[in-house]
Amino acid sequence: MLSREEWLPLARKLDWDYSYVREEDVFPEVMSGHPWLPHAEWKDWEESFKTSYREYVDNQYEKDMAVQAVRDAVGRIENVQKLAAPWLNCLKVHAAALPLAEFTGVIGNLRGARFGRDSAWRTMATFGALDEYRHTQIPLLLFHPLVRLDSQFDWAHKFYHTNNWFSVAARHFFDELTVGQNAIEFHIATNFVFETGFTNLQFVGLASLAHESNDHMFERMVTSIQTDEARHAQIGPPVVATVMKHDPEYVQYLVDKWFWRNWRMFSILTGFSIDYLTALEQRPYSFKEFMEEWIIDQFLRTLDEYGLKKPWYWDILMDELDIYHHMIYASAYSYRATLWFNFVVPGPAERKWLRQKYPKYWDDMDAVWEQVSKRWRTVGPGAANEFAVHGAVMPTFCDLCQLPLSAGTPRKNTARVLVHEGRKYIFCSEPCQWIFLHEPARYASHKDVLKRVLSGEAPNQLPNLLTEYFNLTPDTWGKDAYSGNYDWLRPVAKNSAA
Amino acid sequence: MPIPLYGFLQGDTVGLLILAEEGDTIQSLARKLQDAASLRVASRDRVQVVYNDKAMDPAITIAQAGFQALDRFDVISG
Repeated sequence: MLSREEWLPLARKLDWDYSYVREEDVFPEVMSGHPWLPHAEWKDWEESFKTSYREYVDNQYEKDMAVQAVRDAVGRIENVQKLAAPWLNCLKVHAAALPLAEFTGVIGNLRGARFGRDSAWRTMATFGALDEYRHTQIPLLLFHPLVRLDSQFDWAHKFYHTNNWFSVAARHFFDELTVGQNAIEFHIATNFVFETGFTNLQFVGLASLAHESNDHMFERMVTSIQTDEARHAQIGPPVVATVMKHDPEYVQYLVDKWFWRNWRMFSILTGFSIDYLTALEQRPYSFKEFMEEWIIDQFLRTLDEYGLKKPWYWDILMDELDIYHHMIYASAYSYRATLWFNFVVPGPAERKWLRQKYPKYWDDMDAVWEQVSKRWRTVGPGAANEFAVHGAVMPTFCDLCQLPLSAGTPRKNTARVLVHEGRKYIFCSEPCQWIFLHEPARYASHKDVLKRVLSGEAPNQLPNLLTEYFNLTPDTWGKDAYSGNYDWLRPVAKNSAA
Repeated sequence: MPIPLYGFLQGDTVGLLILAEEGDTIQSLARKLQDAASLRVASRDRVQVVYNDKAMDPAITIAQAGFQALDRFDVISG
């Protein structure tokens, strides 16, 4: 009987020459990706984990039992009820955005498991698909039962099945990243950029935030998921290394495109979570500090290691670290009923902290929050006044990322109009326009939510848009977490010091 | 038939859809955008409308200024 060290390399490297079909037909470029290369160019593809199926199952079983044990101990509704209101909304954001996005990762990995160009790659992608099933099931298992506590948790299942504007943006992103992608672009975009660049480290950061927020269930969940990500993200680097030998410009394009597209999604999910939905005294760092320490340094080192350059838009991205998620958060707050989670207004202490962390543009953002606070003071707190402190005119969206036109600064929004083949498009930023112009056939026919309203596909009245198109209800649409009832907003009695 | 325009008010965090009539003056267009963004941006008396990188005469209509559907305009402090 062969030992593990003898049979595993044989099983992982099980490729052969085809007698009855051409290699190009077994691995067509449309499915396997560009550049098409004979297997001889891929035969040295390798990753460091070299896991057997039995080892994989044993490890995953142990990890699932650990999650189950923590859930039994601290994951009950009464535990969740003790969490701070803003943090609970951080959970709702992730409960919706995470599970079905992970399921699209199953599809992408299964494409790699069939059309990856080396058997070791295909083996690892099979494990990657199983990982992503797990990352779908765990958050659904942990979050959806919380619907008994709060009906907004229903969006754990519902989010990607609606035409909510953020869901449209997330589907536009994940459909391209994972569902409709060939194996090479999928593994470079997902494993090399999305996971190695962002989520693998993001989950470390999220676990730290959850720990500080006393949410040990979420902490355990993301830690458990992160250990899978760290393994299957290893598919990406050897794919990059091989393609770099044959078409380095293509790799540079994919890295530039996907780092930007990831940044757009990531800055909202993680930016909101760190800088607004974690209680001030529990924030271990600002979103910008997190990006600089965990994402940017590591990404630049990785680029250098593979002979890649910084994306051409690097200065734009560095500038956005100071402002983009703040622009989006303030915009989303003022259209909170269009989303499925609740928001908070940053009070004087939070704004002081934000000014300290984001000195470059905070004066302009502070003026926005002062104006919002003034409106609450004018109308008074209470659920009945929610829509008096809410936008009534339709916001606008980018034709590439599908997110609100909130790039640039309050002084100068960077949206740009482009006429392409007789149709008018608008993009939030130069990189979004650049991505569109690189592959217009891929993006040109997609309509953002505003254009659906203008064409009559979606209702043009806010109440109908919320209920009929965004699938929200008065129970589930986003509100101010405190209905404007903040201590710091109350008028100070003139003789209170007496 | 209203003309849908992308309006960007200086000081705001998001562009807004402004439905304008051909006969609206530039001044009334600026007012529409300021009203639409009033939750986030305090109203100012002195503003300018910038369209295709040019400051517009507040008295002319948007038809005279040549606005087309889905064009961008900015309202800035003036």
